[in-house]
Amino acid sequence: MQRVGYMLVNCVATLLRIIPLRCRTGLFALGTPDRTSPVLVTGNYRLTVARVKKALQGVDAYLLVAESRGINVWCAATGGLFTHHDIISVLKTSGIEELVDHRHLILPQLAATGIDTGAICRKTGWWATWGPVYAHDLPRFIANAMHKTSPMSGVLFSLSQRLEMAVAWAFPMSLIMGLITAFLWREALVPLIVLIWGIAGMTFVLFPWYAPWLRPRRRGSAVGRHAILFDIGRGPVMLWLAGMAGLAGVAACVGTLTWGMLCRWGAVSFMVLLTVSIDIRGSTPVHKSGLHTDRLLAITLDTEKCKGAGVCEDVCPRNCHHVDTARHIASLPHADRCVQCGACIVQCPFDALYFTGPGGVVVAHPTTSDGGPG
Amino acid sequence: MSTYLLMKLLERVPRQYDRGMRILTRGALDAAYDRLAAYVGPGQDVLDLGCGTGALTLRAAAQGARVKAIDVNPRVLECAAQRAGERGLSRNITFSEMGVAELGGEDADYYDAVMSGLCFAELSDDELVFTLQEVARILKPGGVLLVAEEVRPTGWCRMSLPAMVRGGLDLMAYLIGGVVTRAARNLPTQIRRAGLSVDSVRLNTLHTFIEVIGRKGAGGV
Repeated sequence: MQRVGYMLVNCVATLLRIIPLRCRTGLFALGTPDRTSPVLVTGNYRLTVARVKKALQGVDAYLLVAESRGINVWCAATGGLFTHHDIISVLKTSGIEELVDHRHLILPQLAATGIDTGAICRKTGWWATWGPVYAHDLPRFIANAMHKTSPMSGVLFSLSQRLEMAVAWAFPMSLIMGLITAFLWREALVPLIVLIWGIAGMTFVLFPWYAPWLRPRRRGSAVGRHAILFDIGRGPVMLWLAGMAGLAGVAACVGTLTWGMLCRWGAVSFMVLLTVSIDIRGSTPVHKSGLHTDRLLAITLDTEKCKGAGVCEDVCPRNCHHVDTARHIASLPHADRCVQCGACIVQCPFDALYFTGPGGVVVAHPTTSDGGPG
Repeated sequence: MSTYLLMKLLERVPRQYDRGMRILTRGALDAAYDRLAAYVGPGQDVLDLGCGTGALTLRAAAQGARVKAIDVNPRVLECAAQRAGERGLSRNITFSEMGVAELGGEDADYYDAVMSGLCFAELSDDELVFTLQEVARILKPGGVLLVAEEVRPTGWCRMSLPAMVRGGLDLMAYLIGGVVTRAARNLPTQIRRAGLSVDSVRLNTLHTFIEVIGRKGAGGV
């Protein structure tokens, strides 16, 4: 029954990836924890909680599910919807302080983009360690005395994750576009849905093979600064217009041109254009979104401020940083991998890291207090 | 009706929040806040939980009370502080970015009144129990708890109409804002469980909105 529930959560969450999926917040005892058992925190995205619980089968621990508005911890923390207030709340109101003798907390590493661990310590006396990125690494992390290996800190884009993302795109697109097409041109419904799933599947499955040639859009998007989700370039739009003009010409020659036919072909071919224009870079955890070149930021280190604390190396999901513990200084040997999540900037105790925008403009320091509502 | 979820959507644009809420509640919320603020007197120490853009805070400060206003959202706090400045009430108000779980630092038996407008419904069950216990601790003996909150009506007849209106709005709020509506549950009972007495309860016609006046006994909790 538990297995069926887990599969159901995975299916629903994959199909409806863009919709928040909440579950109950509070304290969960996993196994038979005692007063020395580790205390882990995650957000109340149902899929995350299910995966963390599954990963911790056989481990005695306390799991605190904090309010992240039903959104995964990375997105919620980055968007200011999962902050130190939410962590403090679950620490103070769940009763965990009466159950354990220690005050050591394991936070999900990806939440480092928005959680102020200093504020948690000041207000509650709990000190936090950043855990691994993926739940399946938790047992090894705990067994390894809460030490992370470098691979535990990095995000991946494995085949299973790519398939998940393909489904996450294809399902809502085929649902919305299918509904429109059902009214507009019923005969085109099945071919269109097959095309949407095929294009989305190929786009993500083949990602590693064409990723080295992916570049942020240089000439700007057809819809300029308003582009979201879809990376519609001017070229493809011109191509689509030319195709439609060609179709109208041929149809006029053979005498089958009608407004209805033009609208049907125009709408369905535009839906296909949208499908091939998925913001592929922004849909991966390993690239910055390529939609807006003016929003591409570079991570920069102020070596005069850096004292080699090493937090950046601990929280970076792309392993961009290297800390020389002997010389007490960090460097950015892999700055090109940065996905501008901002975790290192938020967590650096010496404010030694910052973003620079196009033209070397320094971007204002993001703080963990840019919290969201609620 | 469904004030809470619309509040959550409006909260994302603090500047439009007050105007939007006034239109949505057709002035009912303003009237409720006015009634609650009437319990506050000059020179009193008042705490506003989840102050938002300061609707209750400003009313209490205008009565001459010293108000500490807390909220976890720095954007609405900024908006509230700006409004306080515009009305010349900044001297009476301290704004603090903190949540209800962080009330442990407040002194016991300190506040004459604790206010909460549309805040309790946002809390989980654990948080609400904790908050009411903290309120009972930090109120002076004889101090009042002033609550205006959306609640779930009881009885199928009363439930059906708000449920119909809510259904669509709930879905909209969830899809747009990832927000789930939670009306407060059994507020007067929960307040009594925390050791406070309930002086008065006022419900609107549809029983979707409640005003509760709680009080800490003269001998403490």
